[in-house]
This record gives sequence, C-alpha cells and structure tokens, in this order.
Amino acid sequence: MICYLCLKSIKEETVWANFLSPQFRYTCDDCLNQLEEIPPPFCKHCKKQASPNHQKCDDCKRWANHFGEDPLDQNISIFTYNEFMKEMMARFKYRGDYEAVYSFREPLNKAYTTHFAKKHYTLVPIPLSDDRYETRKFNQAEALASLLKKPIHTQLLKREDTTKQAKRTRTERVLSKNPFHLTNHPPEKILLIDDIYTTGTTLRQVASLLKNAGVKNVKALTLIRS
Amino acid sequence: MTSSTPPLIEDLARKFATKLLLKGELDLSERRLQYLLDHAYLEKVTSIKSSLNFHQCIRCFNRNQSLFGKIPRQNNTPIIYCKHCIQMNRVSSEEPLYRWVGPPPMRHRVKNPMKWKGELTPLQVKASYEMIKAIQHEAKLLIYAVCGAGKTEMLYAGIEHAIQEGKRVCIATPRSDVVRELAPRLRRDFPTIHSAALYGSSTEKDLNNHLVIATTHQLLRYEDSFDVMVIDEVDAFPYHRDQTLPKAVERAMKQDATKIFLTATPRTKQKVQIALNQLPTVSIPSRYHGHPIPVPTFKSIFRLSKTLENETVPPSINQWIHQKSTSNRRFLLFVPTIELAEKLSAKLTIPHVHAESPDREYKIKQYRARNIEALITTTILERGVTFPSIDVAVIQADHHVFDEAALIQIAGRAGRSAHDPTGDVTFFYEYKTNAMVQARNYTIIKNKEARG
Repeated sequence: MICYLCLKSIKEETVWANFLSPQFRYTCDDCLNQLEEIPPPFCKHCKKQASPNHQKCDDCKRWANHFGEDPLDQNISIFTYNEFMKEMMARFKYRGDYEAVYSFREPLNKAYTTHFAKKHYTLVPIPLSDDRYETRKFNQAEALASLLKKPIHTQLLKREDTTKQAKRTRTERVLSKNPFHLTNHPPEKILLIDDIYTTGTTLRQVASLLKNAGVKNVKALTLIRS
Repeated sequence: MTSSTPPLIEDLARKFATKLLLKGELDLSERRLQYLLDHAYLEKVTSIKSSLNFHQCIRCFNRNQSLFGKIPRQNNTPIIYCKHCIQMNRVSSEEPLYRWVGPPPMRHRVKNPMKWKGELTPLQVKASYEMIKAIQHEAKLLIYAVCGAGKTEMLYAGIEHAIQEGKRVCIATPRSDVVRELAPRLRRDFPTIHSAALYGSSTEKDLNNHLVIATTHQLLRYEDSFDVMVIDEVDAFPYHRDQTLPKAVERAMKQDATKIFLTATPRTKQKVQIALNQLPTVSIPSRYHGHPIPVPTFKSIFRLSKTLENETVPPSINQWIHQKSTSNRRFLLFVPTIELAEKLSAKLTIPHVHAESPDREYKIKQYRARNIEALITTTILERGVTFPSIDVAVIQADHHVFDEAALIQIAGRAGRSAHDPTGDVTFFYEYKTNAMVQARNYTIIKNKEARG
C-alpha cells in the first residue's frame, strides 16, 4: 500500500482491531497532518481566512459592488493553500498525477454532507478548455466531483482557451472577459465544483452566466481557499 | 560532420540528440513537430509498455505496479501513467517520448581546455594517470579515495584528455547540492568549454555540451549520450537503493563508454568486485594536504533519546557547542531526523537545513560565506560538500540512519583545509553501535595506510 500523495509505502500495524479486515488507505499520516483545514475565523460567504466576525469579507463586498448583487451565493472550501498543498497541486494538476485526487475523497465527502446533502443541488464541475484538456488528459474539477459519487452534469458549460488563471495578476483576472458559455438549459440549483478559489473570478464568471439564464441558487464547493 | 545540415536542423539536433524527451520538453509548435516526425528527424517512442496488465516505464525503468496510475476515460480504457518519475512530468500510454533520428549535431574541439594551475600530490597524479588510461582503453575504474583526498582535482587531467579527444563527459552525482558546488569550480578551471549543470530546479540547457554535471535522476532523459561517465559517490543512497538508477546510467552512456566510479566508502558489492580483481581500482588513503583524517571521539550520554524527547539539550552537548563558540570554531551538528533538527534549531537558536527545507540553498550559501557560524543538518550535508575549517558533531550517532558509510562521510567533513588540517569529530550516543566502531576503525586504518 502506498500513499497517493507522497508515494512512500504505508506500513499499517496489525493489531486485534484490524487483523481481520485490513483497512485500505490512500494517504499516510504524515501527509494527512500536513493538510491544513481552514481555521476560524473565516468569511461566512467565501471562507476567506482571518476576516474577523463580520458576515462578509472585503473581497465579497467588492464583488457585491461589482455585480450589484453577488451571483455566487456561497463558497465552501476545505483546505488552506499551504506549502504542502502547493506542492500537491503542482503534482496533481501540472505534472498530471491524477490519482492524488483520491486522497481528498473523505474530506470532500464530509464537506459535501455537512453543507449540501439532501438540498437537491446539481453538481457542475468547472470545465477546462479543449486545448488544456488535451494536454492534461483530465479535468481536475471533474476528478474532484466524481469523488462524491453523485451524478454530475458536464454538458452545461463550455470554456474557450485563455491563459492560465494562475499566470495572471488579480486585476487581469477580475477584468478578463468571460470565457464560458452555456450549451444547455440549466437546472434551478447548482453546486459548482473546482479545485481552488483564489480571487473567485472563475466561479463568478460562471455564476453570473447561470444567474442570467434564470438559475435561482448557485453555490460552490472548492478544495482549497488561497 | 555534415556541413550541409541546415542551421535550424543543427540547432534542433543540439537540443534533442541522444535524449528521450516529452512533447512539453521539445517545446515545438504542433506544425513543426509534425514536420519533424514526417521527415524522420524525430520518432515517437512508446513510453509505457504494457502486456497483460503488467506495465513498465520506458523512461525510468519502473516495474513496481503500485507506482502506475490510471486516468479514467469515457467510453475507453483508462490511460496508464508512471508515478515513479512524475517529478519530471508525466509519461503515459497516451504520451510518447521523442527521440532524435536526424543528423547528429557537431561539437567543436577545444585544445588545452584546462586552465587550472594547482599542483597534484603523487597519489593524485597516479589516479589521474589511471583515469586517462581507462579513457584510452574504454575501460572502467574505481577511484577509492578518502574524504578530502581531492577527488575533483584528480579528475581534471582525465576530463581534459577526453575533451581534447572530442569526447563528451558526464559527472553524475546523487545530490543537487554537489552539482551546485562542483559546477562553478569546473567552470573556473575549464573556462572555454561548454558545460551544463542539471538538477531538478536548474534552468540550464544541455546543447550537446562538452561536459554535463548532473544529478543521477537527470540521466533518465538521456540515451547513448556520453563517452565518459564519472559516477560520484557510487555508494550513496539514491544510486545504491534505487534499482532503476544504475540502469538509467547505463542507458545514458554510449556503447563502449568509460566508467569512472568514485567513492570513499565502497559497499559490500564493490568490495567483493575489488577483491576479485573484477574492478580496476586506485586507492588513495591520504588527504591532499597529507595530514591524517580526524579520528572520531565517542561521548556516551545516559538516556540521550529520552532527554531529547523531553526537549532538553544534554549538558555535554551544550558544553561542546559552548566550547566551539568561545574558541570561534565553526561547526555542523548532524541529527538523524528532520523533527529533531527543527526542535534543536528552536532550542539552540542555530539555523537548520533538511531535504525539504525550502531555503536550504540559501542557508548553505550563507554558511559557506561565513555569515552563519553553525548549522544543524540531517544527512543531506553528509557528503560531497566542502566547508574548510569546521568541526562536526553527530547527535544520536547510534541512530540507524547513521550507518558506517554515513559516519565516515560525516567525519570526513572536518579538517578539509590545508591551513587547518585538524578538526574535531564527536559522536554523541547512548548505545555504541557497530557502525560507529567501524567508522572509527576505518579512519585509523586509512591513516595507517597513508603513513605507509
């Protein structure tokens, strides 16, 4: 058994409690300890860290001003973007180690059950452009969404090829043209899935598109809030 | 030498020849790539070989099935990729490697490339002579030299000979710290040749250069490339443990290339080969400055591991540190684990480095520049790096990470400078281990051999 994050072998001690049913694990304790859940206080709206007890952080207020009304109703993120997570994302997304995603199955499912279960959201992973998909061979948001074992809607949106968000500054991102367009009629309640919430531009580009098409409620579940 | 090769093709040949590269590493436009494939300048090489669900990575020789991953696809079989070499970007059943099959690139010959004016000891001269002989006969040679024997300088004559003959030389070493230390020295002493220093985060490019200084892992990108391969620290961890690296080194060499092994502490395998006369060997038991290697002092500390667990520093270690700082001696403290390095660093307010510390390059540079007086380190600084005039102590020398070779190497960090050839080496331990005793015996025996 190897750890899907650090690739070192996991040596599980055999004790009376587990000798009959050895537990399969994706992640070793060392790696689990380095994944850092977002500690309170955080913004209730977007999970931004260390915003004191206000309902909304300054970023969210700015978004609300920008749109008149924030198209994204809420974002839930799980982990902070610490050094370890940066390394893991580099390996998962940029080097393309798909199976690293399995290490996030439990935390993602936990967050989903706490916040969104039984609320009839349709899961929509943020799509990749065709070019990006061709080089990466998978969509990281779809990989995350598929961990939830719920039907996912992948035929709703399309994305044009643009520079990577990660290579742009905040202003460039916020002012960039919306690269998404709808290809189908959207359902009423949508839960967007993505790997990382940085400025929230991507999610809001999609959310405003959906709201304009008549969607009532758009929320987001992202693995990381940076 | 094909003088008719168009300049663009010649440029590409320099970049790609004798390598196995990913599409991303080629960095070509789709159109140009297609042209080069259609006109037989490049060919595709299957990167993952699969038969009956048994996979094998062609780039890194990985055959450990738990290190192959699957990317699911709709209406299709999953893509198989290799995790063992994912650090160098992904190879998969859908992503082939590319091999240059066009005209080979040219390399200009350099006459008298070496500008080093230093003097060699008689033993170093002997080793240099043996190396030149090995290069002439396309043979292999083990240079068995103690730490501080001046291994780098011993290689100079051989490298010079090879380059004058139009041969391509590679120095492969297990650690990137060593590449970063060696490269500037070699560039200073061979100023007119083209060289490339390759390690994980380096941005240098090897354009069919005369000399490549690389970490062993970088050789996974090469095939039939080098005439002379110098393998530094053959006994060191990645090369010794990782079965795939020796294969990668073999592939990176041309068919009848010269192999030069360097070591201070051969493993049993090499010792057997030496004893059976299967591996021609030159033995250098003395340091270049002729002074003996410092013999380690043993200091036992009652309940050492318990004391350290309680985050207190035993008085004798404190005393050792105090004594060094009052007499203005710079030192390295070796510890077995990253955790202990961090704890002690906080306790003693001495900076620490380990394999995962992000600012390790910077701290080592600071230490080398004498801006830092002391450094706590794990075994990453055990070999290859030279700091003149330092003392070393090993805390928990009885820990299993400190095997005989590691302890010999650590002891070899002290007394490297001719101006200050003595150094203090102290092992702090709780239970005496065989490794510690063997390491001390090694220094005593080598010092005896050196006296003749």
